[in-house]
Amino acid sequence: MTATGFALRTDGVGKRYRKGWALRDCTLDLPAGGVIALVGPNGAGKTTLLRLVVGLLAPSTGTVEVLGHDVADSTPQTLSRVGFLAQDHPLYRRFTVAEMLRFGRSCNLRFDQELAERRLAKRGIPLDRRAGTLSGGQQAQVALALALAKRPDLLVLDEPVASLDPLARHEFMQVLMGAVAEDGVTVLFSSHVVHELERVCDHLVVLDQGRVTLTGDIDTLLAEHRLLVGPRTTHDLDRSAAVVEAVHSDRHTTLLVRDGGLPAAPGWQARPVALEDLVLAYLRRSSEPSATVPSGVAA
Amino acid sequence: MTWLIWRQHRAEVCVLGLLVGLFGVVLVGLGTQAHDLFPGGPARCAGEAGVNDACAASFRRLDEEYGYVENLLAAFYLVPVVIGAFLGAPLLARELEDGTWQLAWTQAVPRTRWLAAKLAALAGVTVALTGTFTAVLTWFRQPFDAWEGRFQYDAFDLEGLVPVAYALFAFGVATAAGAILRRSLPAFGVAFGAFLAARMSVALLARPAYARPLTAMEPVPAGGSADRAGHLPSFADWVIERGYADATGRRLSGAEYDELAAAADRAGSNLNQFLHARGVQRFGVYHPADRFWTFQLIETALFLAVAAVLIGVVVWRVRRRTI
Repeated sequence: MTATGFALRTDGVGKRYRKGWALRDCTLDLPAGGVIALVGPNGAGKTTLLRLVVGLLAPSTGTVEVLGHDVADSTPQTLSRVGFLAQDHPLYRRFTVAEMLRFGRSCNLRFDQELAERRLAKRGIPLDRRAGTLSGGQQAQVALALALAKRPDLLVLDEPVASLDPLARHEFMQVLMGAVAEDGVTVLFSSHVVHELERVCDHLVVLDQGRVTLTGDIDTLLAEHRLLVGPRTTHDLDRSAAVVEAVHSDRHTTLLVRDGGLPAAPGWQARPVALEDLVLAYLRRSSEPSATVPSGVAA
Repeated sequence: MTWLIWRQHRAEVCVLGLLVGLFGVVLVGLGTQAHDLFPGGPARCAGEAGVNDACAASFRRLDEEYGYVENLLAAFYLVPVVIGAFLGAPLLARELEDGTWQLAWTQAVPRTRWLAAKLAALAGVTVALTGTFTAVLTWFRQPFDAWEGRFQYDAFDLEGLVPVAYALFAFGVATAAGAILRRSLPAFGVAFGAFLAARMSVALLARPAYARPLTAMEPVPAGGSADRAGHLPSFADWVIERGYADATGRRLSGAEYDELAAAADRAGSNLNQFLHARGVQRFGVYHPADRFWTFQLIETALFLAVAAVLIGVVVWRVRRRTI
């Protein structure tokens, strides 16, 4: 496993379905190690991007490189380094849990059966139950145990907790983060929920309408952005690349700026921004791209 | 992979194996009794029904005691499509409808290898089951073939090589339809429809044209009744068309023949004598019985070629990674 280097590099990746482009001009360099969140509303292209990463889909344009290998020429060796958990964690419903493990064993170069059995025993999931009769949370745990037993260097998860109840969601994230801590696996997961990401993730990619609108290390992003609150300014506005969003209330104007922490203009107060607000601002911006800014407020 | 394929498809394989086994045992049981009617083997009586008394008696008993089975065999036209489509339809469709393709193709087995293993195994089962059943059926029909030949639809379509090719064709259609429709049941339906359409149009339109048919012509004999017309082509030949021609060999239309029959009636003379006196000839357009294997090979090649194209489409779709 490489702590340095890239887990994922995409260059000008686009994917067109019959209905149109699901993903356009996506260029990413995501470091190995840590947890990468792919955030965006439904229909933003998250599933498409993740399927391109694990090689289930071929890109219409551009190249996808995972752990230093082009996904287009996948071999058993490259495939076994990447684990994937699809949305709604599909399993062979009529297989027993033990048979699901046997499936994993028979289709992989390395498969840590013992580890998987231990994980399932810990969650009280019996091996002789049919996968289709398990609860949603248990199915997710089986799918996760299966993916982790490959001992992948990169684990890709598509909306892993979207269909789970809060308790199952918590347990799932607990196991996932445990694996990150123990094995040092790089995790890339998608979510349309921004809530609680800050606690879990190191890196962020925001996707909207098939385009990447924001990407970066979360700590760096939070340090670069801040909120500026000042008197309401409706005239003498200027465009500036530094202003992400301007919100006007009756008396005040709140600006989200990416200025790296320059001193604020007189009369303006600077405040740190929460990750959730940051993401939402970028999502709002991409739907109405002309942000207007008071001159002299932001550099 | 072997274990996985068996685990995923064992239900279909077992059900089909059981059905084939059941019908096979019944056919072997009935067939043994039918064969016993021919002490020297049915082949010795071929074409001798009217000549050899012993054979005539055997054929009469065969018709009385087992004629009903022969009529039931028509249902076995569907055996190849049931086997082929039942195995082919879920191959990709079930993975696609359950979302498990995302599980299957992200393990360390590249998807083309996964697909090749599945196609080989299930096509192999299709061939084995259809082949076994056809072998039993071909053997069962031996006494009937000795009587009627094996070029008629009720023999040709059930015997030899073609049923296996039909089954692989159905397998190919069902697999391809499953890949495109992403649902097992509609894929099975499509395969069923395509099978009926292809089989019927090939048997009725294409098969007679595999080779240039022969034409035999002979003058209408003066004696005998019109119904009891002797066979121009032999019993085992496949007659495509029969009719009457005038002395010059020009074929008579139905209206012309009716006119002659009416004229014979008015004259109060025997129809055959009437026709004989006018030099009218009977003709038969037919494929001789010895073309059986040529025709079998041609039809087998035809269906196998289509099956290969369909499988090629499936492989191409999966390789392209657009599913």
